[in-house]
Amino acid sequence: MSADSTGRSDDSNAAQQRFLSLFLRSEREIFRYVAALVPNLADADDIVQQTALALWEKFDAYNPAQPFTPWACRFALNKTRQWIERRQRWQALLENGLAEELEQRREELLPELETRLKHLEGCLGKLPEEQRSLVEGYYFRRDGIEGLAANSGRTIAATYKMLQRIRQALQVCIRNATNPEGATP
Amino acid sequence: MNIAYPSPEFDEAVAAICRGAVPDEQARALNVVLRSNAAARDEYILRVEIHSRLASEPELFAGAELDATQSRHVRSGKVPPQVALALSGPRRIREHRRWRAVALAACFALVAGGWWALHLWNTGEKAGTTSHAVAMLNRVVDVEWMPGTKAPRLGAPLEPGSLRLKAGLAQVVFYSGARVAIQGPAELELISQSEASCRHGKLTAEVPPQARGFRVGTPQLSVRDLGTSFGLDVANRRTELHVFKGTVEMQPAMGGARQELREGSGAVMEGAKPAQFIAAGPAAFASLFDLQAKSLAAEARRYDQWRAATERLNDDPSLLVHLDFETGAASDWRLRNLGHRSGSVLDATIVGCQSINGRWPEKRALEFQNVSDRVRLSVPREFESLTLAAWVRVQGLDRKINSLFMSDGFLPGTIHWLIRNDGVLGLTVIGTDPRDHQIVVSPPVLTLDQFGLWLHLAVVLDGDAKRVTHYVNGLPVSERELSIDPPFRIGAAELGNWNAKGFPGNDPFLIRNFSGAMDEFLLFGRALSGDEIGDLYADGKPQSEPLIRTDRRP
Repeated sequence: MSADSTGRSDDSNAAQQRFLSLFLRSEREIFRYVAALVPNLADADDIVQQTALALWEKFDAYNPAQPFTPWACRFALNKTRQWIERRQRWQALLENGLAEELEQRREELLPELETRLKHLEGCLGKLPEEQRSLVEGYYFRRDGIEGLAANSGRTIAATYKMLQRIRQALQVCIRNATNPEGATP
Repeated sequence: MNIAYPSPEFDEAVAAICRGAVPDEQARALNVVLRSNAAARDEYILRVEIHSRLASEPELFAGAELDATQSRHVRSGKVPPQVALALSGPRRIREHRRWRAVALAACFALVAGGWWALHLWNTGEKAGTTSHAVAMLNRVVDVEWMPGTKAPRLGAPLEPGSLRLKAGLAQVVFYSGARVAIQGPAELELISQSEASCRHGKLTAEVPPQARGFRVGTPQLSVRDLGTSFGLDVANRRTELHVFKGTVEMQPAMGGARQELREGSGAVMEGAKPAQFIAAGPAAFASLFDLQAKSLAAEARRYDQWRAATERLNDDPSLLVHLDFETGAASDWRLRNLGHRSGSVLDATIVGCQSINGRWPEKRALEFQNVSDRVRLSVPREFESLTLAAWVRVQGLDRKINSLFMSDGFLPGTIHWLIRNDGVLGLTVIGTDPRDHQIVVSPPVLTLDQFGLWLHLAVVLDGDAKRVTHYVNGLPVSERELSIDPPFRIGAAELGNWNAKGFPGNDPFLIRNFSGAMDEFLLFGRALSGDEIGDLYADGKPQSEPLIRTDRRP
């Protein structure tokens, strides 16, 4: 092993360490930032991965005095825009400035969302077993919808419908938990 | 198409967006209502947020699962937290998002030209699948792989595919038992357990009786081994075959009769010319014969480097415990604590265990095999932060929870460092009330193909930054927020086992003996940085590792 290659790998090792540490801490936020515009999970995953690679390529330019997440979200926004530009139906959804409006409004709402979604775990615990296991399969294990449908003896459409109902139930539960006296917002 | 808000059509459109299957017309209609109606917009944001939280917060489900399966026990406080954890597994977790982090880590390492996360990358790809490996990379000396090709990890299983060596020596052991040493520049294609081909380069093959029939092909000929050792030198439309021992069967690639070649003879095949017979010339293969000796010398160098690094480490005043398992004879039950600056931690006591070879032939390690095997020690005082690091070789994950290092019982402020049987690394931090605990887990990082390899594991419990980071081979594999407040304690504790202290010993979930070997253990009373963990790994890794060079010199 020559001296120069040792030096280089040590440097890059240290940079990777820093990068991974920062990225792992921000990854979930970046994912949700992307998913606010492209909620489809597989697509959001792909965009986050592309973002991560872009971040790593530009990591030299990152100023450690600045918070990492906002810096990373700028890249995520670019990657998301590029992704949307190539897909007509997402353009149709987000055109005429809706993307920007959603992004800004979400940022305003974030503290409120944080408060409300603290109850998500408790609400998941209150779901009937069958529903909870469907949510776990879909969101946590990321089992495909076909398998989940087959396991439950439902059609794919009915399984999606079920997931939609469960999310609604969770939303109601969160609302009740946020307003314990039962006052509607 | 118009969508009103609120309406079932609105609900349906949002759900369609979440599953990524919305027709253009529906997307356009949703766009209109979201732009024109602020309440609809806020509702949309909330719904999407619930959806994306569910997908990005695996802890939501760990908790739900514990509650659902164990609520009675956990709430009554009768079952300690880690038992609940054990009962919640084994889950065939495919936590994609977490995995992705690990895979990405490996990906970046590749981009940077580093090799060290490659095995994580491989693990990520191979998780849950059976291995197709046909051989293993056994030894390397000054090895340099071709840029842009896979740099296999020493000791790692090799699947069919090319090994492209730019320089240095490498020895591959096929699962049939045949050993092939190659000298760079060379390209060896692994085909099966008993077949390889060499496009160019120099190799020697040693074939024990059980691997009789082992074949190596070159562009000019194919050699079938009849229990021997032979050498091949392949270059520019020319192959030289030298038989050093026993007999081989040679078949020209252009067709023609098979021929047997005996010990001391050889053949040259060039282009379309018929074979020319020569005397075997072992001298040209001297460095390959020398591989084993050289490889041992390289290991000895690494051992010396580790020793030197260890001396520096022992001067760190925050080092509470350093066990290198070197001191004392096999019959000795005391282990000297080398972290002598701390003064307060006494020597450790070995119960059972076997002394075996460690990372290098000169290095000793301790093997944990039996249910009673353990090393006991006691660490006084309280700490804001702690770092644990160990070199371990996992033999199997026999228990639901396999102890690396655990404080006795479930006392307030103490910790349990463990490997779950699904390959997840865990650190349980127990709060003031034992029911108030946090189990900080990594993705499943220890998979079958990591068993039998020396791995550097570390975990940093950072009370100031409120963070727990797990490391494998010097790289972080997960980083999570810590919800339990310092101070933390160790107290009476065990390596490789756990003293349940008052919980019934016959409960299978409480048997947590580690199956494997450990050849170094470090405990610091502070949070080490990622760079420091990287250094611990770099100073102690068993071999200087093959490099992927990022420069592309001709």
